[in-house]
Amino acid sequence: MNKPLKKIIIVGGGSAGWLTAGIIAAEHLVDDSSLEIILIESPDVPTVGVGEGTWPSMRNSLKKMGIKESDFLLACDASFKQGSKFSGWKNNNSQSDDNYYHPFSLPHGYNDINLAEFWQPFREQVSFANAVTTQSYICDLGLAPKQISTAQYSFNNNYGYHLDAGKFSQFLQQHCISKLGVKHVRDHVININSAENGDIASLTTKLTGDITGDLFIDCSGGASLLLGKHFNVPLVDKSSILFNNAAMALHLPYPEENSPISSHTLSTAQSAGWIWDIGLTSRRGVGHTYSSAHTDHDSAEKALRQYITPTVGKKLAESIAIKKIAVEPSHRKEFWHKNCVAVGMSAGFIEPLEASSLALVELSAKMISEQLPANRKIMDIIAKRFNDKFLRHWQKIIDFLKLHYVLSDRVDSSYWLDHRNPSSIPDSLQEQLNLWQYQSPYHYDNDSVDELFPSASMQYILYGMGFVTENIKNTKRINQSNLAEQLFKENAQRSQQLASILSSNRALIDKIEQFGLPKI
Amino acid sequence: MSTHALVNNIDHKDLKIITERSAEYGDNIWYSMTFPMEFRSIQAYYPIFFLKDANTGHFFSTAIFGFTEQENLFLVDKKWDAAYVPLSVQRQPFLIGVQNITEDGIQKQHRVLQIDLNNPKVNTSEGEALFLEFGGNTPYLDNAADVLETLHHGVEDDKVFVETLLEHNLLESFNLDVELNDRSKHQMIGFYTINEDKLKELSSDVLKSLHDKNYMQAIYMAIASQSNIRDLLNRKNRLMNL
Repeated sequence: MNKPLKKIIIVGGGSAGWLTAGIIAAEHLVDDSSLEIILIESPDVPTVGVGEGTWPSMRNSLKKMGIKESDFLLACDASFKQGSKFSGWKNNNSQSDDNYYHPFSLPHGYNDINLAEFWQPFREQVSFANAVTTQSYICDLGLAPKQISTAQYSFNNNYGYHLDAGKFSQFLQQHCISKLGVKHVRDHVININSAENGDIASLTTKLTGDITGDLFIDCSGGASLLLGKHFNVPLVDKSSILFNNAAMALHLPYPEENSPISSHTLSTAQSAGWIWDIGLTSRRGVGHTYSSAHTDHDSAEKALRQYITPTVGKKLAESIAIKKIAVEPSHRKEFWHKNCVAVGMSAGFIEPLEASSLALVELSAKMISEQLPANRKIMDIIAKRFNDKFLRHWQKIIDFLKLHYVLSDRVDSSYWLDHRNPSSIPDSLQEQLNLWQYQSPYHYDNDSVDELFPSASMQYILYGMGFVTENIKNTKRINQSNLAEQLFKENAQRSQQLASILSSNRALIDKIEQFGLPKI
Repeated sequence: MSTHALVNNIDHKDLKIITERSAEYGDNIWYSMTFPMEFRSIQAYYPIFFLKDANTGHFFSTAIFGFTEQENLFLVDKKWDAAYVPLSVQRQPFLIGVQNITEDGIQKQHRVLQIDLNNPKVNTSEGEALFLEFGGNTPYLDNAADVLETLHHGVEDDKVFVETLLEHNLLESFNLDVELNDRSKHQMIGFYTINEDKLKELSSDVLKSLHDKNYMQAIYMAIASQSNIRDLLNRKNRLMNL
């Protein structure tokens, strides 16, 4: 029990597996005597290959692994993502402007003042995002979040990435093996062997034989080989809250080599789901996620093909191949069981509305790495903390995603009506909604330091969707309205200023290809 | 828009170059590029810092002449008030062009002397002539060609130099805060300088390799050049009668 933890076995070679390997290996000295990390990847199992949007947290993950940002961008056909734009979510009325942004940058002066309170009286004149950040304006113009002279991983506006998931795993794999000392075993796991105490003692592989380990990380995707199949940790179904349980995806070429690359994910609401649209440097990735209880496969496919027709033409739109993905909106009852922890889809999956899956992988790997148990004796304590923390993360994600639906005024299908049925709304979310009628989300809405969604994100969704927070009489001694006015003015000035110095997303990527990004 | 033309004794036989230094003739620049081999001459008068090219994000070495855009504190009475004028300033209005030629069936590139015809120094009535009466080069033009040749090799070496500095984390950004005699404050941002803490930590192997490329001298020249900020400040105070 006091034997030091020395050998980590990761099962699965998708983004989750390699990202986990990389994050742990970047923090710990990996060699045969202190810590060994072995990633077993089955040559027979293809990776899902979706999950093409990241959060800004990915910048830090890559930086810590010692990756040059230009190398990553070019190898993964990656481009800059500055947030999401939601289209058709409010009322689907073509007469009104049914669009809003959830940008990655915080509102101007967010640590000093809650601008949302001061914006309320001007809600008809200017959108919330445009009033408090430059980013939505910059996204509308298709501009990049930084300049060629901005150091790698630094920015004018906060950003994450759009990337090719397949190429991303390949890229991480190469980096983990050549730079970080991770060992790669290409083999199929055929048996899981238990120790006396119920732990996993070893994995039997087809060609390599038995591989022993102290900690086993299950990154086997939806199959959940270790945590799900072996330990039978059950799934907690969330389909009564978030209905989308099916998805179909396709890859679209750009009409021309230098077609603009969008710097945000576009999420367009449909009658029984929504369509994502992600711009990489080489192609677009578009997909429809929907509720099979509210529509059928054929109608969903028709909606998807209809969506792409205006940009690629009828001929291609009707012939292009579609890949079907089944998803169960759920997560495991616990994630760390005995000496096994699940990361990625093996831990759970919820629709990609806010691209939270890779962010959860990063956060899980970070906690495993930073809290790496010294020995088996204390592992159960860390497992318990891990489970508590990630159950809370999942609950917050579910509440936050649900928030996008409950504020809609759409009445065109039962899907939207069902989403507003009180029985489908978690109590925790309902409670927040009650509160937000009288006060804007702010720092008190975040209760931990590594909260997935800052209160600013809640503001962007609420006020983007047209939610009204009543202005109660201001009884505070210090009047901040002068400061607010100044910040609104500064933001408008900075928007113009940035627009004049930033190049388009495509132009910046082309320059990076030519010159690279400076190290400092 | 600048118009670059290959210098030749037919089209340009009557051209003259004004050698006076003033804002009118485009000398109101607040910095100009330099390179390690020139550092010894530069550090006698100017601070040496590093800047990023806005077009490529790549670093280059610069000599500083002022504290804000268009401020060149060395322009005094239509002259350059320092015994050494950086080559990248001296070269105006000439520049190097690249020409593709085929020699014995092999594609080659060679450097040619070009002139920016839109440069205000270029005229036909006053200044230094480019060509002698019968078409031969004047010593002035020959000198310009030499300057450009030196500059070309200097720039190539500077690229290697800054890459080497970056590789060993020897560059750091800094904000220069200056206070004039009237207590007014100015801040220069976007400049980089030698990180002296990192320099002290270098291993003997790295020091040796820097020394072999003659970069140790350049590094110390750059550090020593910072004392010229005081001189710039004095010039600015004088200019403003402070």
